[in-house]
Amino acid sequence: MSRLDDELRQALRPAAPSDGFAERVLARAAARQPNAVRRPGLRWVAAAAAILALFVVWLDREHDRKVATESAKEQVVLALRITAEKLQLVREKVQQVNQ
Amino acid sequence: MTRIIACFALVLLPAWAQEIKFPASFEKLAAKAVETVDLKLDSSTLKTAGAFLSSKEPDQAKAKKLVSGLKGVYVKSFEFAKEGEYAESDLEAIRSQLNAPEWVQTVKVRSKKDGESVDIYFKKQGEATTGMVIISAEPTELTVVRIDGTIDLEQLGELGGQFGIPNVHMEHGDKKLRTTGK
Repeated sequence: MSRLDDELRQALRPAAPSDGFAERVLARAAARQPNAVRRPGLRWVAAAAAILALFVVWLDREHDRKVATESAKEQVVLALRITAEKLQLVREKVQQVNQ
Repeated sequence: MTRIIACFALVLLPAWAQEIKFPASFEKLAAKAVETVDLKLDSSTLKTAGAFLSSKEPDQAKAKKLVSGLKGVYVKSFEFAKEGEYAESDLEAIRSQLNAPEWVQTVKVRSKKDGESVDIYFKKQGEATTGMVIISAEPTELTVVRIDGTIDLEQLGELGGQFGIPNVHMEHGDKKLRTTGK
């Protein structure tokens, strides 16, 4: 038992750090600090840029959709107008024959 | 396998055969015409246009209802600078396709004095009218309108005065056309 105590005491005895240990730790901490601040900022910029890009694409598609819809409506109205005009021509011809 | 292909062909052939096609000669007419209108409105285009028309505005609602029954609208109209630019054979190329039993010629107008002719055909499937073709030939103008789907001429008449569409009314029963001025 006393031998085990001796071994534990030996293994867990306080030991002094090597020379310059505290300086090295502080130097590393100082070197990492700016990166830790910059990275979240970049993420926000990237996210904002992605959202902006998506918005521009959506606006572009919405514009194309509106143009296509307006064009389709105009074509339908033109087709109905031509149809109605020709039906009216028939009516005029039928009236002429009846007279 | 051959039997299956043959069965498919028998099913698909009548549907293909029923489709009225504009003759190839119409492409040459477009080159001669001073003004050409070529509209090909398939069901998706009609749906897009229908979606744009408002259900709340009375006039647009009527147009929307009219368009909702249509599967396709195809218009070819040529205006020529002088007479004789198109031949009777150009018209016959279409009329011959309308000899099928499902097509009924409702109107046939011939005016030798004015050199004009108008034909209107309706496609009947049972009691339903599922298509219409108008062939209008004037000395310097040729127009063919093909409408697939159910077109209600009364609804078309109700649109008269709107969107530049003249008033047209179709009487039920005897299919006589009755129109009023613009």
